[in-house]
Formats: sequence, C-alpha cells, structure tokens
Amino acid sequence: MTRKLIASALAATALFAATPALADGDIACKSGPKDKWQPVTKLKKAAWMEGWKIIKTEISGDCYEVYAHTESGQVVEAFFHPVTLEKLVVIRRGSEIYRKKGFTG
Amino acid sequence: MAFWLALAVPATLMISALAQGELAMDLLHPSGELSLRLLVIALLPGPLIEFFGANRFLRGWLALRRNFGVAAFGYAALHLVFYGIDMGAIAPIIAEFTLPAIWTGWLGFALMLAAASISNDAAMAALGRRKWKRVQQGAYVALLFSLAHWVLLDWSWIPAVVHVAPVIIAWALRFVARARRKSSVKGTA
Repeated sequence: MTRKLIASALAATALFAATPALADGDIACKSGPKDKWQPVTKLKKAAWMEGWKIIKTEISGDCYEVYAHTESGQVVEAFFHPVTLEKLVVIRRGSEIYRKKGFTG
Repeated sequence: MAFWLALAVPATLMISALAQGELAMDLLHPSGELSLRLLVIALLPGPLIEFFGANRFLRGWLALRRNFGVAAFGYAALHLVFYGIDMGAIAPIIAEFTLPAIWTGWLGFALMLAAASISNDAAMAALGRRKWKRVQQGAYVALLFSLAHWVLLDWSWIPAVVHVAPVIIAWALRFVARARRKSSVKGTA
C-alpha cells in the first residue's frame, strides 16, 4: 500500500509540478508610482527607434519589458525604465547582451 | 487509442490558441514543459518496477512507456515549430544556434528524435536489444540537455530540480533494490 502511494506520488509530482513564473522579474527599475509612468505607446516608439520589430510588451515587476526582433533578426527581451524610457538591460536567450552604464538594478 | 487522444488534447489546445492569435512565443513554455514532463514519465517506470516489483499499476505504466516517450518527442517537435514561427526565418535560427541556451535544446531534441524514430518493435528487432537500448538510454541525456536549455534561458533552478528529482529518486530506489539483491545472493551462497 505504502509502495503504491509513493509510486503515485512520484507520478503526480512529474505531472503537476508547479511551474514558477519566468525568472526575469529580478530586474528592478525603481520606477516609482505607476501614474508617473510613460504610456505604452511611447515605450513602443522607444523600441521602434532602436530599429526593433516588437513581438509584445508587458510590465515586469516595476519595469517595462519588450520582446522584439532586432534589425539583424535576433530575438531579444529588453527592460526599459517606465519613466525615462531608457533602455536598461537587453537579454538574448538567457544572456545579457547590454546593460546601461552604471545600472545595477 | 483513447490514450493517444488524451495526449493530443494539449497539442490541439495549443495549436488552436495559436490560430486565435496567441503568440508562438507564449506557447514555448507550455509545449517545452509538457515534453519534459512526458519524458520524465517515460523514464520512471523502469527503475520503479525494479524497486517496487511488478504490480499492476507499474506494469500498466511500463506498457505505456513507449507512448509517453514518443509523445514527449511529439511535444518537443511542436515546441520547435513554435520556435520556428517565433523566429520567423532560418537565418536568425542558425545565427543563435551556437548560444549554449539554444544548442542544448537542439541536442536534447536530436536525442529524443533518435529514440523516438526507433520506438517500434521492428526497429528493436533490426537493431538488436543492446544497440536499441543504448539509443533509448539517450533519453536520459536528452533530459539533462533539456533541463540545461531551460535553466540557461530562464536562470531559475527550481523547475529543473523539480523535474529531475523524480528521476533521481527512482534511480536511488533502483540502486537500493540492486544492492539488496546482491546482498541477499551473498547471504544464500
């Protein structure tokens, strides 16, 4: 009986194991209250100015996050400051390929 | 048959979500994770049966092992299709092939493809048990590469640990069973 229970528990673990959210929530923009944030349309423009084709934008923690194709076709996820719309960090397939000088968030 | 239909349900849901405008990018996680889970499910009954003995539940599970394994490959293939749609062209796919987070995924897929392509009785007979088994054992390496792929992309250890834990536990039990058998053989000799 116990053996059956253990076996079922193992099976259940494999099937229904919790799926934690993406781990990119660990970038902090220290952006303050949301009513001071720039609208998403401006964010899109900032990404467009980079020459990127936007896949989607979202809010990640206190940052704006943009998923996009760069001009050379790379898929990147970039974090923008919601108030200044500065590009803070760019990640390509799990590795950081850009970080604004001095940004430590 | 009913079993295959059940396994096809998530794929159907994912494809219809895509058709309704869901981003391919957002289907990468569900398809990849399901593939990994099915792979884990396929890897468990072998070692477990050695420890628990062949009860009805485990025998049933073992009988379905091949299906789980092939389904794991199927979802890996679907994952790859979503990846292709997300990337939109061949050139950028080739360009990022050398990134560790990416080639680990490709290698895991290749190993699953190899195992799945000989997952039938005819191939088993043609290759001979040993050779056939060797290729099937590649599934363990596929699991490790897939987990590396996941960790390198998301930098989150917990999901990888959660998925590999059942396999490690099952193998620990298998070794316990083997050690017991050895000592009991010694005892009777």
